[in-house]
Amino acid sequence: MSLNQIERAQGLRVRSTQDLAGGLFMIVLAVGAFAFSWDLPSGTLRQLGPGMLPKAFSVICAALGAMLVLASLRYNGEKLQGWSWKGIFFALGGALLFALTIRGFEIGPIRVPALGLLVSGPLLIAFSGLAADDRKIKELLLFAIGMSAACILLFKYALSLPIPLAPWLLGI
Amino acid sequence: METFAHLSLGFGVALTMKNIALCFVGCLVGTLIGVLPGVGPIATISILLPITFGLDPTGALIMLAGIYYGAQYGGSTTAILVNIPGEATSVVTTLDGHQMAKQGRAGVALGTAAIGSFFAGCVATVIIAALGAPLTKLALLFGPAEYFSLMVMGLCFAVVLARGSILKAFCMIMLGLLFSTVGTDLETGQERLTFGVASLSDGIDFSVLAMGVFGFAEVLRNLEAPEARDVVKGKIGRLLPGWDDIKQSIAPVLRGTAIGGILGILPGNGAVLGPFASYTMEKKLAKDPSRFGKGAIEGVAGPESANNAGAQTAFIPLLTLGIPPNAVMALMVGAMTIHGIIPGPQVMTRNPELFWGMIASMWVGNLMLLVINLPLVGMWVKLLQVPYRLMFPAILIFCCIGIYSVNNQPLDVAFTALFGLFGYLLIKLGFEPAPMLLGFVLGKLMEEKLRQALIISRGSFFTFIERPISAGLLVVAVLVLAIALLPSISKKRDEVFTE
Repeated sequence: MSLNQIERAQGLRVRSTQDLAGGLFMIVLAVGAFAFSWDLPSGTLRQLGPGMLPKAFSVICAALGAMLVLASLRYNGEKLQGWSWKGIFFALGGALLFALTIRGFEIGPIRVPALGLLVSGPLLIAFSGLAADDRKIKELLLFAIGMSAACILLFKYALSLPIPLAPWLLGI
Repeated sequence: METFAHLSLGFGVALTMKNIALCFVGCLVGTLIGVLPGVGPIATISILLPITFGLDPTGALIMLAGIYYGAQYGGSTTAILVNIPGEATSVVTTLDGHQMAKQGRAGVALGTAAIGSFFAGCVATVIIAALGAPLTKLALLFGPAEYFSLMVMGLCFAVVLARGSILKAFCMIMLGLLFSTVGTDLETGQERLTFGVASLSDGIDFSVLAMGVFGFAEVLRNLEAPEARDVVKGKIGRLLPGWDDIKQSIAPVLRGTAIGGILGILPGNGAVLGPFASYTMEKKLAKDPSRFGKGAIEGVAGPESANNAGAQTAFIPLLTLGIPPNAVMALMVGAMTIHGIIPGPQVMTRNPELFWGMIASMWVGNLMLLVINLPLVGMWVKLLQVPYRLMFPAILIFCCIGIYSVNNQPLDVAFTALFGLFGYLLIKLGFEPAPMLLGFVLGKLMEEKLRQALIISRGSFFTFIERPISAGLLVVAVLVLAIALLPSISKKRDEVFTE
């Protein structure tokens, strides 16, 4: 839910926006899971079907979420805090870049060849490293190269994991 | 005598050059990663999981056990030197350990912790060896109904012993159970909640969930928290405790070992209580309780021994019943499954070398910690000064390579990032994700046992209360929950976990 809604809700004597959001989060997840397991047969008690437990767990999750919402109206608790988009963008974005480049991918017209650890490693480190407030670009680049080299030696050679190194350059 | 025969079989396996080397490397890298501030044992084990992939199952488990102890000990080192507890069990160590470090006695604190842990580890190894065989026999008497009730009890304990709100811990357990239902249904083969994604048809991958929620999300959490590292500047001082220190520590170490060892056996994260209980006890028994919190050596010796004893006896429910008592052990289940071993009573009968070899290697691992940690303290201190801006990209690349290597699937890395986002959301909403991992791992087993029990009882839920053992376990579960919800107790619980 957006922060605006929460601020408005505070007028209605919400004592813990964190718990309120947590409760709503549980309810949303539970309703979603319940809806998606709707078509699965529940079976009987003697022979439980595939849908029984997902539905039962969703109901319990929703009930717990509702209790959490009620609790947030009664007991004082933590406030909801802001997000750090920078961390999400760079750190998780770095991981995504790694996933996309390590063996290459093809989505419609966009085509990236398999770049291998030799490229994906430094790319991941350099990109995700930008998330730090006290980043130093030169240090980060050096570290990206050094750390990737260490990882290649450790994982590719010492542990011989089958991870592509640089198919476009070395063929492995 | 049977116990000794088993142990000698185990030592025969553990003391080969290769396995000693694996144990050594495990302890070393476990400590190396575990020492980093903000990286707890769960994150350490998830990060290091891939380095065991190329090994045979016995070697891999021995190395994993080494990593586990290393991570535990690394957490204590961080607690003493930097005042950052890696996980709940080393919170207590920060109280007096860091004070000792400030007084220039960091070395003695670390040395006492290592020696106390070593002693506790020795005792716990013998306890596991002695209880392993009889408990496994007991486990074979358990039917599906008993197993189901035991897991319910374990989850109730986990709810009560989790940090923070009971209601929120309950939410996390149920969410873990819900996640465990994703994937192909075991009996009918129907796909559940997979949204047509092929890689979800085997269920959510365990390592994807663990590394996303504990590796990536922790990075996101640490990135926004301003760094407040209180690394001890002064000298580490001598490492070996003097005669006076030893005299003061002996009794706390003995008591801590006993408390931690007993609590660790409980299904449902009893190990987390050990250090707290030991600290409270030492404070009560001390002639001058005011010394505590100001660098009392008993406050390090007792809880550290309890911590290690509990960390080790927590293997008992896992190895004998196949039920992980806490999130770290849930991670061990995931790791074992990757190597094709399903923990449970059958491991001991089918692969005795693996079972006893692992137990013997626990002792070797504890010895290793003593041998490598005391001389390497200087190196750990240097490592503590590595700035986070360089540490987290290194953690990320380890996680990414690790996740990729589980199935050689780039898509898994993307999923992990998604779970990282999910874990960050949980943290923002004030949920502690550890119980979710436990629920997730137990979920599949619970569903299987529930279905079996209901087939046997022809659809009657009364089977769970008609069978005496099952009924007893459920009664304990209800009692634990009821007691924890009593107002007076829940206040005390809050105090314990915020201290």
